[in-house]
Amino acid sequence: MNRGRLIWAGFTLPGALTLAVLFIAPLTMIVLYSFGTVDFIGRPQFGHSLDNYRQVFESAYVPVLWRTLFYAAITTAICLVLAYPLAYCTTQFAGRFGHVIIGAIILTWLVDYLVRIYAWYAILDDGGLLNGGLARLGIPRFHVLPGTPAVLAGLVYGYLPLTILPLYAALTNLDRTIIEAGKDLYGTPRKTFWHVTLPTTRPGVIGAVILTFFPALGDFATAQFLGGPNQSMIGNLINSQFTDSGSVTFGSALTMVLLLALVVLLGGGFALRRLGSRRTTTRPVPNLESIGASS
Amino acid sequence: MSAVAEERSGGLGLIRRRTRQRRAETFDRPRFLWIFTILMLVFLFVPVLVVILYSFNGQPSLVVMRGFSTQWYHEAITSGTWRGSLEVSIEIALVTMAACAVGGTLLAFGLDRANRHLARASESMLVLRLVSPETATAVASLLLFTQLGLTLSSETIVIAHIAVCLPFVAIVVRSRLALVNPELEDSAMDLGATRLRAIWLVVMPLLWPTLAAASMLCFVLSFDDFITSLFTSGVGTPPLPVRIYSMLRTGVTPVVNAIGVVMMLIAGGALIVALSMMRVGRSRSSLS
Amino acid sequence: MSSEAQASLQSVTKNFDGAIAVDDLSLEIMRGEFLSILGPSGCGKTTTLRMLGGFLIPDVGEIFLGGVNVTGVPPYRRDVNTVFQSYALFEHLDVADNVAFGLRRKRVGKPEIAKRVGEMLDLVGLRERARAKPAELSGGQQQRVALARALVNMPAVLLLDEPLGALDLKLRREMQIELKRIQREVGVTFVFVTHDQEEALTMSDRIAVMNHGKLQQVGRPAEIYEAPVNEFVAGFIGASNLLPGTVTGGHVALSGGVQMRLDGSRASAFRDGEEVVVSVRPEKLTITQPTPDTWVHVDGRIVDVVYLGAATNVTLEAGGDLHLLAIEFHASGRQQDRLAPGTEVAVSWDPEDALVLSNSRQVADDPPPQPKET
Repeated sequence: MNRGRLIWAGFTLPGALTLAVLFIAPLTMIVLYSFGTVDFIGRPQFGHSLDNYRQVFESAYVPVLWRTLFYAAITTAICLVLAYPLAYCTTQFAGRFGHVIIGAIILTWLVDYLVRIYAWYAILDDGGLLNGGLARLGIPRFHVLPGTPAVLAGLVYGYLPLTILPLYAALTNLDRTIIEAGKDLYGTPRKTFWHVTLPTTRPGVIGAVILTFFPALGDFATAQFLGGPNQSMIGNLINSQFTDSGSVTFGSALTMVLLLALVVLLGGGFALRRLGSRRTTTRPVPNLESIGASS
Repeated sequence: MSAVAEERSGGLGLIRRRTRQRRAETFDRPRFLWIFTILMLVFLFVPVLVVILYSFNGQPSLVVMRGFSTQWYHEAITSGTWRGSLEVSIEIALVTMAACAVGGTLLAFGLDRANRHLARASESMLVLRLVSPETATAVASLLLFTQLGLTLSSETIVIAHIAVCLPFVAIVVRSRLALVNPELEDSAMDLGATRLRAIWLVVMPLLWPTLAAASMLCFVLSFDDFITSLFTSGVGTPPLPVRIYSMLRTGVTPVVNAIGVVMMLIAGGALIVALSMMRVGRSRSSLS
Repeated sequence: MSSEAQASLQSVTKNFDGAIAVDDLSLEIMRGEFLSILGPSGCGKTTTLRMLGGFLIPDVGEIFLGGVNVTGVPPYRRDVNTVFQSYALFEHLDVADNVAFGLRRKRVGKPEIAKRVGEMLDLVGLRERARAKPAELSGGQQQRVALARALVNMPAVLLLDEPLGALDLKLRREMQIELKRIQREVGVTFVFVTHDQEEALTMSDRIAVMNHGKLQQVGRPAEIYEAPVNEFVAGFIGASNLLPGTVTGGHVALSGGVQMRLDGSRASAFRDGEEVVVSVRPEKLTITQPTPDTWVHVDGRIVDVVYLGAATNVTLEAGGDLHLLAIEFHASGRQQDRLAPGTEVAVSWDPEDALVLSNSRQVADDPPPQPKET
């Protein structure tokens, strides 16, 4: 129905417009400004200069870039290792109680992000809870703030709920019969976990990684409050560019680098996934003799 | 580990069988996993408990706790600045929620029904937006506003928030829409309703629960949002997270903890409303 | 379009992405009849139905309802209602509101609605469940609600898209009888799409057989069964032995040297050398009984025997590479032993019971060849 086509255009139009305004246009701005220059007053202009990008890769800033990647990666890894057993236990063994647990976890996430970070201040500071408790036990203080472990702890804490939720969703839908079949096939629970459970929940793990890693890349508040100059992340750099004393063009270039990292890593992840799935389809059926021998 | 059933029937055999079963079952419920889980939950809750604890601090310190006082809650509730920010936060969240509910639903229909290439391209953009670091998207919004010559204010915050939440609502509603039997709309048209009427009468009732839940989550996302708000706020009263940020940088008192608790309660309330709406929807309709 | 016709499709063609779904279809639907559109999956029958309903617009051709050209008219302005394959009941409304839906769109008055909905629910036997939600009903009950919802509007034509597909066998048979009864009682024209030929034979006043988007044959069930116009129809309706052969001088030469005589009128209908298909129904084959000389006799061997209760299916190999299926009805309950696999038997049939079909034939308006009286 030709009339139908028009109606659907009508539906898509507000959405498409919004997308154009809220996605394409802003992105274009970042691109344009990142190639821009600053005029004699200091106002940013569009341009063709690569100076901003050159500045990004200057010796002063490169460590920050690597550090950001490093922090985000470690945070994601730690979060995965912590979240998976938690999600597993909650979905498989907690029954009704599982809903309560997840609800409580979400509730913690609802406390303002900054306030939660600052709570770590209360815990980790020299005069704070951790050291106070240790002092009572006669153990010398840990000077943690400001420092890398504190920042990592803060990052892990901040993003853990985001890791837990996709894993929880994937594990809730885990088919118990597949696990039973796996137990028959592989014998020990450990092998079953490795060969059956993990691969089945792979989409959930991938979702968790994406939802943790990429937002963590852009984080700055954690590093700002729990760390010092040696813990700066790219987010801190970007943030400082857009306050009064910074450079909009430089900040745009930094943001572009951040976005490019997103695109490259995400694209690389997809490519890996396509390779990986090809491999699993050709993986040989487990050797039956070896199963009999091990159990 | 074998689970060979005892051939023996009767009392002793039964006990032996049951013990063997239970031993096999504990392997299914390893205690260490539970201990780990509990430790993790402690890890997650302790900072929140610290927040709550320190919100009653007798002295204006965020590090050393001494005494008990409700002065911070008093300040949070009576102070003009905090009240103002709370109002602004709620206003922004409500407007964002309303705009995203409408826009997200329209976009969901567009994604579901438009030409396949257009739909897939749009959906990729939305997903990309969702996983991008918020710092980057906030910068993007800021630059756009600057370019357009807009003064940064609550209005710009709303627009930026809509950009953040819209993809989420669109994708969630679209997922639910994809589960709706397409013959329902045809059936309503067959019985005399125009296509728009048909959608309103027959498809929307199935979407309401999902839409309501997504809207509530939208409210929470906007209410709690910090990064985007920071970059796009300007003149006028800042929303709560931004005000907390500036206080943390200048001089902080436990009033932020009190505010944190208040925010948690408000957001928690919205979330509970969302969940109960989803449950209502589930009991009302089987997937059709 | 003739005066009796309720609806008609004229030279209707529909393409999807370059593939032809319906190919130059012309069909008249008579007032008050129960017409089935029968064919295998993908033959275009559902597409045809959707075009009648207004959900698809033909690329070529026109559709008429009650003499009016409705080709571009949307569903909500056609005096046609549909019972969908998935029932498409509105889950958030109860049964009565579902049934009342169409009447409410037409802004019928409340007391009138209540009356008509009540009558319709009585007709389908669901009065006590008027306030139930669709999710609480069984499959058969949901199907009846879908029927009531469509029928209450008293459309000129009621379209049914394989409505009995989801039901189990017993329920299906019951519903077939129910539907036929309701149609007769209400007098509405039914157009019923199905792939189940038994269903079509049971319920229809006329059957339209389709394949690959083309109309193969239209006629009463007996005509379709006794006098199929081509190999497809012969093979699709009921079981049939389809034996390819060549016409030579008054005979059809089948494989394995078997010859079948063509009598006068039939012989003239075919040219020498024409490739034809001889169709013989299994019940027309006789095994190891004395039969007249005019009959075709073939030596064969029993390959398989399947006991069906009221009858036995016997699969035979005969004369080279003829595979034949015969069916013996146990009228007087004898002879299981003589039908053992491996037995050499003589198979025969009366040429007058056999149809000679040329594949180039399809029917639009040609009268079908008259079935022979025996």
